[in-house]
Amino acid sequence: MRRLGELEAEIMDRLWKWGRPATVREVVDDINTHRPIAYTTVMTVANILFNKGWLQRSKQGRAWLYTPVRSREAYSAALMEDALGTSEDRPAALAHFVEKMSDEEVAALRKALRNTGGRSRT
Amino acid sequence: MNAAPALIGYAAAIGFLSPRVMLRSAWPHRAPALAAATWQALAASFSISVALAAYHLATPTEHLHAGVMGILHSCGVALGAVGSHAPTTADRLAVALPVAVALALAAGFAFQVVRARRARSRHRAVLDMVGRRSHRLDAIVVEHTAAAAYCLPGRHPRIVVSGGAVRLLSPEQLDAVLEHERAHVAGRHHLALAAVEAFSMVFLRVPLARHAREQTALLLEMIADDRALRRHSRDVLASAMYEMAAARAPRGAFAMGGDSALVRLQRVLGPRRGTHPALRGSVAAAAITVPLLPLLVTCPLGIV
Repeated sequence: MRRLGELEAEIMDRLWKWGRPATVREVVDDINTHRPIAYTTVMTVANILFNKGWLQRSKQGRAWLYTPVRSREAYSAALMEDALGTSEDRPAALAHFVEKMSDEEVAALRKALRNTGGRSRT
Repeated sequence: MNAAPALIGYAAAIGFLSPRVMLRSAWPHRAPALAAATWQALAASFSISVALAAYHLATPTEHLHAGVMGILHSCGVALGAVGSHAPTTADRLAVALPVAVALALAAGFAFQVVRARRARSRHRAVLDMVGRRSHRLDAIVVEHTAAAAYCLPGRHPRIVVSGGAVRLLSPEQLDAVLEHERAHVAGRHHLALAAVEAFSMVFLRVPLARHAREQTALLLEMIADDRALRRHSRDVLASAMYEMAAARAPRGAFAMGGDSALVRLQRVLGPRRGTHPALRGSVAAAAITVPLLPLLVTCPLGIV
């Protein structure tokens, strides 16, 4: 049993990849090439994505045409902004590998790496 | 004799002097897990002594007509059971003050945990949609040019690495970085951090609060570094740290991380010196005893 979130991601993934408005039928047909899925399931989840603000839609004939509100790159950039931005705000939320540093600090790191690295290799 | 002066003196020693001793010692960076536990123990000891001192200040003359009940009372046992008089304002204050200290700490911890959890779940909702799960890396890859690696700890943990970092690092370096992040998640480091954050929220001006928070953050990184070093060489981890830092440094920007990365890098590359078992044993014993000390100060007769 796949989680709802996974199906959401699958639908978004396709719409981002296609880069054009698409109907639920097109998405269902594409997923059906890998595994069977009911039309109503995809329709429900597309509706959820619309309500969550991930998709926008316009009527074409009797079907809805869905488009992502923002590009995948825009979301990724916002995500990285959130992760790499000033972490003072939420200390325990995200644990970074290294904090943001100034040029001087990076130079000090390089010096330390070169000094000890040279010693350990001799 | 009222125990308030002794307790206040003890709290001052823990709050002002103990951080100096900790910062001057060499062992904390060699045994980071033990050191992190010691900071927590010091914070607990300080909180308990402040709570007890508040109790004793509110009941200044109570224990002069001591006897056995007085000793029990001075230990905080048998509250309200002593005497037949109706509770006075001082009595109420004596209970209210320590309870307020405990509540403030508990509320601070809850606030930190909830705030961080909310920030994480917001982030995770977007991450699960945008990121691609890599089974090879056992992590989520977000396509972005910046080099980044981080984790979302908690009940639904995620290890995240940017496409920029994947391209920047060698497979071995990348695994060392991811192993470091896994250590944060597995060790539930966010809870230890939330505890010292709460402590420093309540005791804002006390040096112990500031140092406990800064040092705990650094020590947790060191614990995670050590975990990565179990599977990777020092050169791999150190060079990964440098690559990631160099890729992220903005031109002309102010320092934000301080020199913690430099301290970590020097520690990783420096000679691996453990601590003597005797030292570890006595520090552990001290860390366990230190929260109990204020209680011993208060009721020395109670344990005889």
